[in-house]
Amino acid sequence: MASDKTYWKGIGELENPELAQKLQANEFPQDIPVDEFLTEQESNSSSTTRRDFLKFLGFSTAAATLAACEAPVVESIPYVVAPDKLVPGIASYYASTFDDGYDYAALLVRTREGRPIKVDVNPDAVYKGDANARVHASVLNLYDATRAQSPLKDGEESSWSTIDKGVKKALDAAQASGKRIVVLTSSINSPSTKKAVQALASKYETASHVSVDAFSYSQALDASEMVFGTRRFPFFDFSKAGCVVSVGADFLGQWVGQGVSKAYSERRKPGKDMSRHVQIEANMSLTGSNADVRYRVKPSEYGAILAGIYNRVASAAGEATINAPKTSIESKLDDVAKDLIAQRGSSLVVCGTNEKNNWVLAYAINELLGNLGSTINTNTFSNLRNGNDAEFNQLLSDMKSGKVGVLIMAQTNPVYNNARGSEFAEALSNVDCTVSCTDKKDETASNTTYLCPTPHALESWGDSEPFDGHYSFMQPTIRPLFDTRQWQHCLLHWAGENVDYATFVKGNWSQWNMDIDKVLHDGYHTKPTTPSNDATASAIALLSSVNVEKPSNGMEVVLYEKTGIGVGNLSNNPWLQELPDPISRVSWDNYITMSASQANEMGLRNKTRSNGAIDGNYVTVVAGDVRIENVPVLIQPGQAQDTIGLAVGYGREGVGRAGDGVGVNAFPLSQNGAHSLTNVTIEKQDGWHPFACVQLHHTMMGRRIVQEVTLDTFLNEPATTENHKGWNERTQFETLGEKMTADKANLWTDFDHETGHFWNMSIDLNMCTGCGACVIACHAENNVPVVGKDEIRMSRDMHWLRIDRYYSSNMTKDRAAEEGVGAIKMYSEMEVPSESPEVVFQPIMCQHCNHAPCETVCPVAATVHSAEGLNHMAYNRCIGTRYCANNCPYKVRRFNWFRYSENPEAFGVNYALNDDLGKMVLNPDVTVRARGVMEKCSFCIQRIQLGKLEAKKDGRKVKDGEVQTACMQACDTGAIQFGDVNDPESKVAALKTDKRMYHLLEDVGTKPSVFYQTKVRNKNA
Amino acid sequence: MITTSMNKQRLFYRLFIGLFFASSVVFAQEEADLPGDPDNGKKLFNAQCGACHKLDKKMVGPALGGVADKYSMDWIIAWTQNNADLRASGDKDAIAIFEEYNGAIMPAFPNLSEQDIKDIVAYTIRGDKKKVPAGDGEDIAAAPASGGDDGMNVWVILGLSVFLIVLIAILAKVKNTLKVIKGEPTSTLLEDASVFTRIAVRNQKVIAVGTVVVAVFLLQQVYWGLMSVGVEQGYEPEQPIAFSHALHAGENQIDCQYCHYGAEKGKHSNIPSASLCMNCHTYIQEGPKYGEKEIDKIYAAVGFDRESNQYIDGYDVKPVKWVRIHNLPDLAYFSHAQHVNAGNIECQTCHGPVEEMEVLYQYSPLTMGWCINCHRESEVDVENNGYYEEMHGKLKEKHNTDKVTVDMIGGLECGKCHY
Repeated sequence: MASDKTYWKGIGELENPELAQKLQANEFPQDIPVDEFLTEQESNSSSTTRRDFLKFLGFSTAAATLAACEAPVVESIPYVVAPDKLVPGIASYYASTFDDGYDYAALLVRTREGRPIKVDVNPDAVYKGDANARVHASVLNLYDATRAQSPLKDGEESSWSTIDKGVKKALDAAQASGKRIVVLTSSINSPSTKKAVQALASKYETASHVSVDAFSYSQALDASEMVFGTRRFPFFDFSKAGCVVSVGADFLGQWVGQGVSKAYSERRKPGKDMSRHVQIEANMSLTGSNADVRYRVKPSEYGAILAGIYNRVASAAGEATINAPKTSIESKLDDVAKDLIAQRGSSLVVCGTNEKNNWVLAYAINELLGNLGSTINTNTFSNLRNGNDAEFNQLLSDMKSGKVGVLIMAQTNPVYNNARGSEFAEALSNVDCTVSCTDKKDETASNTTYLCPTPHALESWGDSEPFDGHYSFMQPTIRPLFDTRQWQHCLLHWAGENVDYATFVKGNWSQWNMDIDKVLHDGYHTKPTTPSNDATASAIALLSSVNVEKPSNGMEVVLYEKTGIGVGNLSNNPWLQELPDPISRVSWDNYITMSASQANEMGLRNKTRSNGAIDGNYVTVVAGDVRIENVPVLIQPGQAQDTIGLAVGYGREGVGRAGDGVGVNAFPLSQNGAHSLTNVTIEKQDGWHPFACVQLHHTMMGRRIVQEVTLDTFLNEPATTENHKGWNERTQFETLGEKMTADKANLWTDFDHETGHFWNMSIDLNMCTGCGACVIACHAENNVPVVGKDEIRMSRDMHWLRIDRYYSSNMTKDRAAEEGVGAIKMYSEMEVPSESPEVVFQPIMCQHCNHAPCETVCPVAATVHSAEGLNHMAYNRCIGTRYCANNCPYKVRRFNWFRYSENPEAFGVNYALNDDLGKMVLNPDVTVRARGVMEKCSFCIQRIQLGKLEAKKDGRKVKDGEVQTACMQACDTGAIQFGDVNDPESKVAALKTDKRMYHLLEDVGTKPSVFYQTKVRNKNA
Repeated sequence: MITTSMNKQRLFYRLFIGLFFASSVVFAQEEADLPGDPDNGKKLFNAQCGACHKLDKKMVGPALGGVADKYSMDWIIAWTQNNADLRASGDKDAIAIFEEYNGAIMPAFPNLSEQDIKDIVAYTIRGDKKKVPAGDGEDIAAAPASGGDDGMNVWVILGLSVFLIVLIAILAKVKNTLKVIKGEPTSTLLEDASVFTRIAVRNQKVIAVGTVVVAVFLLQQVYWGLMSVGVEQGYEPEQPIAFSHALHAGENQIDCQYCHYGAEKGKHSNIPSASLCMNCHTYIQEGPKYGEKEIDKIYAAVGFDRESNQYIDGYDVKPVKWVRIHNLPDLAYFSHAQHVNAGNIECQTCHGPVEEMEVLYQYSPLTMGWCINCHRESEVDVENNGYYEEMHGKLKEKHNTDKVTVDMIGGLECGKCHY
């Protein structure tokens, strides 16, 4: 008998039959997100049935097979007139300079067939500047199709002749009516540029030059003027400093632009001369993470701390003390003072704020210690920073009151990067004629009458004088891609001098007795200078006027510049946007950094989603009238209590797909050019912000990943001993016979690495500052793709070289044993970074294991070992099983989940691979990888092959240092060394036998070709 | 039988050629008045004079056509061998020419004998032979020779087939005759064939063997067909300019690397720019085969005016779009310098007898197997290159051989070419 019973599949169906029906009809309610990456959009929406699909498939397979038999006709189009000395396939190098008023570096530009494809620091230049990640990435901005391509008038396309006519008329009118004519720029150090500005000023009496820096050091320069009689920074010589005390100065970052990391690292070599570095700061900065000792304080305490140090040094020297309020690290200051006094004459106290008093105090301490003339070179002054906020403020009030007739802006973007930007934007309408010479229709340029597009540094002529007597030269390496004109050329033209800037600069060089051919070849020129300062400089004498303020209560915000983005000049650079911040390891963002306990108090959280991505709460930052809405919060170990950090350089508009709308603009907080602001409140907002963080694990959990010892141990204890109690012992294994080290216990037959080359790389963890220049250099050299924020969140970043950062934890194995903490509790506590951690960096790329786990699991032998110690990767052989990546203990293999090139719909943000112009930056010596293949560091095999070829052509051995990987070349401090260990004279051969040498995860038995040098920290035990 | 027919053919052509030459002897008799051998003169002219002179046109120096009418033979010999001496001796004609060409110094040619100069003059009198339509004697001699080679196969096969058919017919006739003698009924050839087929179709062994043979044949064809996908050996596209390597590299003996100068320096062996062609073709304005037609294409590229012998000012240059023949896939990084310079390999090893190619074609398969095979076999000259100094001994010891081949120094490793 039939039953009419109804069966339910679950309670849900009983209670809500409609919903159940709906769900039944739609078995997979969520679209598979992969679809949006498949470019064939139309195929997603088509109504092709399965049968039709199979028919098409069959037909197209047959057709493709037939079509494949006929090779396409490829045309080879040679030059009609081949440029002299250009041989296809061989790179040409030009010495040049990068100087955008913020970053300065002497460059060596590599061009291929007339295209600049890579910039490196000029190794011969006497003063090299700071070739940081931004400088290395700047070559990509040359091929940015969103650059201003032709002159604009009121936003409409115009011509140079129209603009010239209009500007000249406005200049004459301003002259006639006595209104001001102002050339507003960022810091200018180029003598020719100054001359060009002067040319305008001599034609028009009312013309003047104002410079303003985005991240201001105006007050600090005022302090210099008071102390040294010149409104410039002295040369800070870190190579002479045995003890460095930095109060808020992130000198390994941008700071005053002098590029001191090389000099600093010279004194970081472990040994008796190793310097001690004490960092006192609020944010966890790049410099702070390299310090031996780091104290967390609020920025409003800096003055009191400097005064405290001064008093301690002064009383030790029997000098008068000054009034110093109490600080939170009073007891530690004794140690700091002791360290400084011990290194009298070769110590250095630097300050990072933009406050006159603090700088005077810092100079006074240095003077007391006898550092003026040694670590602070008072004979050489830097021209790299000369912005003057007072002049800018005067300009702004003149603009408001209609006293300015013509405003010509170049290399500056005050609407965006000045705290008074919105005021400035409004005031622009009171100026009769506004001209913006810029490479983008940026925030300022979209408010001006005229936009004069300027060429990229690699298309320009110019010169620089970063320090007195040091000259550097800029020459074009490619014809201007767009209808651009150098702004100096414009000035000259408007001043009525009908000379193009190239002729002008060359004329200047001849006038200054420089051989044009030689200086363009060398890229630099030095000439002796006479000290220009007041020899009787004294900061101590000025102390009577210094009033040290008491630390304030309440929340403070500290602005900082990120290594990748800086002040945002090169924002539309996908390489830089995707470069993870060295400390937080977050890319594509700026955010509020906050200590864990503070976040806990305020109910702010970072949560990890199931796919490993991090989300954070939003807050609104309120400081007086300024409100910055919806800023995400990231918990940052090492952040001082009651402070938050926020990076400038983000939140840009109108710069292009990579830079627009990334993060928030923090410049409005930089009131009066200050780097920090007191009495800030934050309000929690709804919602979760997605972070693209590439490192989720912050501690080493007691494993020997980064090996670290104190200087004391390093100097006084043996690295290895007979009973295996040294500080650099190899891990021992129990085997059937006896205890063995991993290199002895071995299942495999060894490769012969005696014959020919054996390429090895040494990475000195003491030298590595974590700056990330190597990561960018690797991008440029190896056509490494950029995947964008969403993909990074799925841990699909493609960096061949990453710099892991580890924090120390309060819990250690020793402490657990001492206190009797159980294993579970110990490990869970080890996972939590300390509130004030020590930080280590570790660059990791493919370790080129000589017993490589990846090689043994590849089913198609796409990754194989070479006789020269390299782990080869044949992309065309790879079928994408990803077994190798799974089996890699170092997690350095990168998989092409999608087609990252020629796929502008999905990955257009990376114009280096997806835009016809952007593709000009690609290195023709390296394959662009396709979807579905694995890739990884190749040890820059294209460079190895080239080095060997050159040696064979000359019939000689490969010289040490001739073959450099891109990362080694980019490394300012020399932390990365690469070479042939079979060449007994090579640096790397010596480093391999160094007592600090260890292999990463040696106990796995991989026998890597990359080895590390133990980090040594100079701290009191 | 066949050989005799071939001989007859050849005989016929020889007769034809003989007749042709006989007619040209009549033509040659007119040349008897010339002071020397114009053919030798032409060669010398091209080698020694062509850079600055043409017969019918003023170039760096005057046009030489009709020079014998203007000057005496002795004067010409004296001028050619050392014109400076002649001028120094106060010869008016010599000084006049020197001044006419703004003091451009013509080098002395003491290496040319009197007879050489007479030959050259003979050439200037006779000029280039007029092109005979359908080719001159040489062309005709060449054409049937090659045609004969091709034709031979066809003739052999045709002959054999006819022979076999006749044989079968004869045998059938013989069989029928025998049957008639024995008094059996005769059968035609077609009937025999159908009987044979019927038996064969019923025989399973024959079917099986037949199937296997056909299947193996087909599979082999498919296999080779697939293996040849992307292999463009013999690829011989038509180029925008009918450039002949046979003429330049073969006849004129121009070194490969004069034009392809990148080969010894870097990865790429460059295709020369049109400006490089102009090094010679500023002066050599006519080719032996196509006359001005093909050289005009170079002039069109660089903007050179044939009439005035000048580059055209402000000309918008037009690159020559050569068709690329040797297409290695982008994933393979092949370095010419490594092979040509470091490895001392002749260009011809891979590119074949380029100096004989009228139209360039791809000589080698350029497959990976072909690369690898060569790397296994080729010996590295470790003795004469300082690079291998230390490696050398170790390699010999390691491989226990005197001969170090490319694979022993890692020439088979993936990453050497794929990165």
